[in-house]
Amino acid sequence: MLWLALYFPHLPLEVITRGRQQAGALAIIEKLGGREQVSRCNSAAQAYGIRPGLALPAALALCTGLSVQRRDRAREQQALHGLAAWAYQFSARISFEPSLLLLEVGASLRLFGGLPTLLAPLQRELEQLGYSVRHAVAPTPMAAGVLARNRPDCQVVMQDGLCEAVAPLPLACLTRARDVRNLIRHIGMDSIGDVLALPRAELARRTGPQLLNLLDRLLGRLPDPRPEWQPPRHFSQTIELLGEIAQTMALMFPARRLMVALCGFLRGQGGGAQRLQWTLRHRDHPPTRFGQGLLDPSRDPDHMLEVLRERIERLQFPAPVVAIDLRVDDWQAFEERSLTLFERPAQADQALLERLSNRLGEQRIRGLRCLADHRPECAWQFCQPGESVVPLSPRGVSQPPWLLPQPRPLRECQGAPQYGGALRLENLPERIEAGWWDGFDITRDYFVAHSPAGERLWVFRDRRAGGWYLHGLFM
Amino acid sequence: MQVVSLDELKRHGALWQGRRGLLTADRLLSSGWTVLDDVLGGGWPRASLAEVLSDAHQGLPLILPLLARLSAGPRWLAWVAPPYVPYAPALVARGVRVERLLLVRDVSAGQRLWAAEQALKSGACSAVLVWPEQVQAAQLRRLQLAAEQGDCPGILFRSLRTVRQGSPAALRLRVRPSPAGLAVEVLKRRGAWGGATCIVPVGRDEDRGGPALVP
Repeated sequence: MLWLALYFPHLPLEVITRGRQQAGALAIIEKLGGREQVSRCNSAAQAYGIRPGLALPAALALCTGLSVQRRDRAREQQALHGLAAWAYQFSARISFEPSLLLLEVGASLRLFGGLPTLLAPLQRELEQLGYSVRHAVAPTPMAAGVLARNRPDCQVVMQDGLCEAVAPLPLACLTRARDVRNLIRHIGMDSIGDVLALPRAELARRTGPQLLNLLDRLLGRLPDPRPEWQPPRHFSQTIELLGEIAQTMALMFPARRLMVALCGFLRGQGGGAQRLQWTLRHRDHPPTRFGQGLLDPSRDPDHMLEVLRERIERLQFPAPVVAIDLRVDDWQAFEERSLTLFERPAQADQALLERLSNRLGEQRIRGLRCLADHRPECAWQFCQPGESVVPLSPRGVSQPPWLLPQPRPLRECQGAPQYGGALRLENLPERIEAGWWDGFDITRDYFVAHSPAGERLWVFRDRRAGGWYLHGLFM
Repeated sequence: MQVVSLDELKRHGALWQGRRGLLTADRLLSSGWTVLDDVLGGGWPRASLAEVLSDAHQGLPLILPLLARLSAGPRWLAWVAPPYVPYAPALVARGVRVERLLLVRDVSAGQRLWAAEQALKSGACSAVLVWPEQVQAAQLRRLQLAAEQGDCPGILFRSLRTVRQGSPAALRLRVRPSPAGLAVEVLKRRGAWGGATCIVPVGRDEDRGGPALVP
């Protein structure tokens, strides 16, 4: 087994800033030892001389415009779960430590073709998600975690190199448990290597089983089972915006982060999404909700974002936005299509449909198909554009290319229908009698007629109720 | 004095002959009507706007043979704001594969032009038919650019009232019904003189004899 640890050192800060492209001086504060002090701060705050550990009043004295946020561990935990849902595409075995994800990658290495090809997209996407990461690889989960926190970028693939890699690390980084830490302080040894050099029986006699147990798990001499994380059934994530956003296009930045997270999640599930639900939260107004539809299941963030842009451009919202969330309740099986020369037109096809239906509404973008019925009203139907149909034998040869949505009654004069003057009827009528079985019963004689203005028209006489009607146009 | 023969100039493309027109055969799409192709100098312009002006949305039969041919390809035939329902069985009978139709219905005047522009420049349409309400000259130019960009013919069906409005379209036709079919008058043709007329026998051949045969 091989474990990849992803450690997010700035998670407390990034859960707050990732909705914004730029943020002013910001400090995360925490109550430690009875006083409020800075626990993390961004680079803008560091420029004012603010450092972690500084008391809050001192920090505010250095920078009067400093925005201060209390550390929100629940949100960090939520963010970590969101990251796990995204990371599920790289590994099916995921577990957590504080600010850290552990992925078992031994099984997926062959699939990805080696560590470098696994790590490159992973790091790129984490950057798009708005997180900075330190990673390490080791044969045991505990070693991977310890290395990621203390010796980032360290990759130990074989069991043999493990002792050597962890030896220089301080002993205290093994655990946060207070009694073991006290014990470590009392035995007067600094590094893991020092302790490993001691005879094992002697160490067990002097320190008890706890430290030995930790070391054994670290080096893989004892099993270290971790609770396995299960991916959620639905995708639902929120980005809270630091402050408010009033401009629609500024929402594209956090929206893109959500999109990348969604697409990672969909890759993990082997699915594609077709229906995205967006909610924009406002401070004092009920939230604005809107849906985003795609014609084909997709998991391409750029494509989805393009469609969203069309949708969001004409969106009106009542107040500035303070948070944005994205929810996808169901997804469809997705077949990864390789981009070949011949598939490109089909994609342009879909892109046009999506652009039109997102701007104008799906019900306004229609296709057309024939139905097997002789009644002109029932011989066709609107449908989804491009829907393939069973070809019917051609029978509209003497019928017009234009049909009126409703037959229009024609005035009659001495038994002859009128349309800008008396109509001249062409030879024999086409009789259509059908529909007694479904209540829309017609008995009509259709004629091709010529108006005095020279137009060719399709008219019929209702044989049962009498009367003439215009139903189609040939020109 | 150096003497250069005319033939030589022609061979080098240094001499342009007015009668032939600016649009060469590969920039034209045969209309499928022999008489119409004659007055159009070969057919509809391929990557440009054409306007069909009439009293009452007439002129669709002029392009049905072309639509039939284009519908064999994989791209859309977009109809933006058609004034009536395109009657599917009749279109099928004239050789049009209706599953390639993309109808944009019930949209405002501004949305029609936006949809037409998107369709024209997308590269996903083999032809775009538009029934706009009113179009400003600047909007026509946008559509013309979109047609060039997407290499797609755009056919605008407009009212005869707009005859006097200037237009960047490569082709403008006036159409009116006549007992023998549709009378077509060329008002403007890029690189040639207007004024040519013909009568396209719609409803004479294709309506009786099944799908029109297109070369």
